[in-house]
Amino acid sequence: MERQSNRLAVLLTPALILAIVIVSAYGYFAYSSLFAKGPMGSGFAGTITFENYTRVLASASNRSVLFTTLYASVVMSVLTIAIAVPMAMVIVRAKRQWVANLIMLAIAVTFLSGGVTRAYSWLILLGNKGLFNLALTELGMIERPLKLLYNWLGVGIAIVHYLLPFAVFTLVGAVRNLNPSVEEAARSLGASRSVTFWRVTMPMLLPGLMVTLTLIFSIALASFLFPMLLGGGKVRMIANQIYDRMFVDYDIPYAAATSVVFLVSAFVAIWLMTLLSKQVKRLNER
Amino acid sequence: MKKMQSSSLRLEQLNKTYDTFQAVTDVNLDIPGGSILTLLGPSGCGKTTILRMIAGFSNVTSGRILVDGTDISGIEPNFRDIGMVFQNYALFPHMTVAKNVAFGLQMRGVSRSEQATAVADALVMVKLSHLADRYPSQLSGGQQQRVALARALIIKPKLLLLDEPLGALDRHLREGLQMELRNLQRELGITTVLVTHDQEEALYLADHLAVMNKGRVEQLDNPLSLYDRPRTEFVARFLGVPNIFDAVVLDSGATGTTISLRGHAITLDRKLGLATGAACKVSVRPSHVELVAADDPRPGLAANVVIGRELGERTAYHLESGGLMIEANASRMRSVERFAEGSAVKLVFDPVHTVVLEA
Repeated sequence: MERQSNRLAVLLTPALILAIVIVSAYGYFAYSSLFAKGPMGSGFAGTITFENYTRVLASASNRSVLFTTLYASVVMSVLTIAIAVPMAMVIVRAKRQWVANLIMLAIAVTFLSGGVTRAYSWLILLGNKGLFNLALTELGMIERPLKLLYNWLGVGIAIVHYLLPFAVFTLVGAVRNLNPSVEEAARSLGASRSVTFWRVTMPMLLPGLMVTLTLIFSIALASFLFPMLLGGGKVRMIANQIYDRMFVDYDIPYAAATSVVFLVSAFVAIWLMTLLSKQVKRLNER
Repeated sequence: MKKMQSSSLRLEQLNKTYDTFQAVTDVNLDIPGGSILTLLGPSGCGKTTILRMIAGFSNVTSGRILVDGTDISGIEPNFRDIGMVFQNYALFPHMTVAKNVAFGLQMRGVSRSEQATAVADALVMVKLSHLADRYPSQLSGGQQQRVALARALIIKPKLLLLDEPLGALDRHLREGLQMELRNLQRELGITTVLVTHDQEEALYLADHLAVMNKGRVEQLDNPLSLYDRPRTEFVARFLGVPNIFDAVVLDSGATGTTISLRGHAITLDRKLGLATGAACKVSVRPSHVELVAADDPRPGLAANVVIGRELGERTAYHLESGGLMIEANASRMRSVERFAEGSAVKLVFDPVHTVVLEA
């Protein structure tokens, strides 16, 4: 017994220290949200107040950024899943191994190239004189260049592209665990390809799908770089707002309050998602 | 469930090629309605590929698959009306037993009340009525396979395909299910194709047994003929004959053939298309090799006992004769002499069960 509890202590201590360090930094930041902005050079000062929270929640523009961030993240995550599922299926089930390898390689390259590189690549591709518009104009399909940058479209494309590797890599595992015989059984019982996909394949994938959705949703929520570089000041997500409050206004308590509100809403959103997935699962079983 | 239609199945010049690998070569099989065809062979012999082509999961490279005289090889699997049972059960994990069984009827647009009646009947048939609301993960392997069987049969399929259906079950359970499967198939009169690598299962369940090797049907026969008269060395070995020897034809007559095995002459009462002096291979099961004392008056092959072991109802001998290893079984139920290891004996081959194999 003595030895065992010793071992437990040895194993737990580093984890605990790490957890405390990580949480305490954020805790201190959250704590600062309860004070007023301090004089130049200091973070915060004064007595405890909830004024920062009223500022965050009362302002319509603040609420709009928060809801836009949540809503856009849901849309982008679902879109990513919609693209990632067929990709994962092809990777796992391709008859020719090189097809699977090629797609994996393409995804790995995107995954490993940094965010800034990718943002500038999208600038080149999506600009008014970018490859996309140039090709479409040359082909005579459009008269004037499409506006693909400095709006949600461009930011959305870049973020979905950024999320894709995370989704594909986690879904490949889920698809690999599917037993193809189960789908074949459905086919032999009279289900068409699409009925088999929706009634058998998707329900079996659902747990993996929900894990993936939650993962990429949390990554999407924290988007900062793409709205900043491709949004042209018009597309703002919550991380950009927090950044501005910290490094433009130097109002750390206000930034902290925004973060806390954001964190709570993100948790609620993820909790709702889990609830929804349980509901969907129950519907499926009926 | 009532008796079903008994569709006939005919495979014509069936071929399957993957890139450069020929999985199935010129397979021709003709099965009358209501019987069980068993495809027996080692893994990779093409038996599962044939089953998957019949089910429609794998395209036919060339040849035809005729069910009641109609070629189905171009039809999508969901329009084939074929029930399939897989080795790993392949139940829908997110549906209850009842929902699993109802699936095929649901796909056919059968009304809910009719579905419920049919599902209840099907579950009675496989003795699982009490588990209708369970999920597959809550069932044992044997129960899951019975659900799979009910699910496949409820659509009243033209053919029932069984892909190593009992392979994942333990021996005791397997034997019970074999009997159930056999009775059910007889009762329903459904034409069935079974794939297995287990020779006992094949012998027990087959009306027609096809032994496959490297994508070809090596021999098609009824199980007993196949067991007693393997045509080739591969079939003999796959059906568990350890004694396969080189022999020479001494005399090829009109009514009988005499062969020489290491100088020991055995006269078979069959006419074989072999010339006198030709080399051939013979196959004898251990039970058809009789051990007698060395001074016995009957002609036989002199040998020495290397090992003798009691295995329940038989004594299994390993013998040696001039470098040739021979296995023989003696029944322990009949009081035959027990020969000690190292003793000299004489081996008498049963001419009826000594089979000359095709080269």
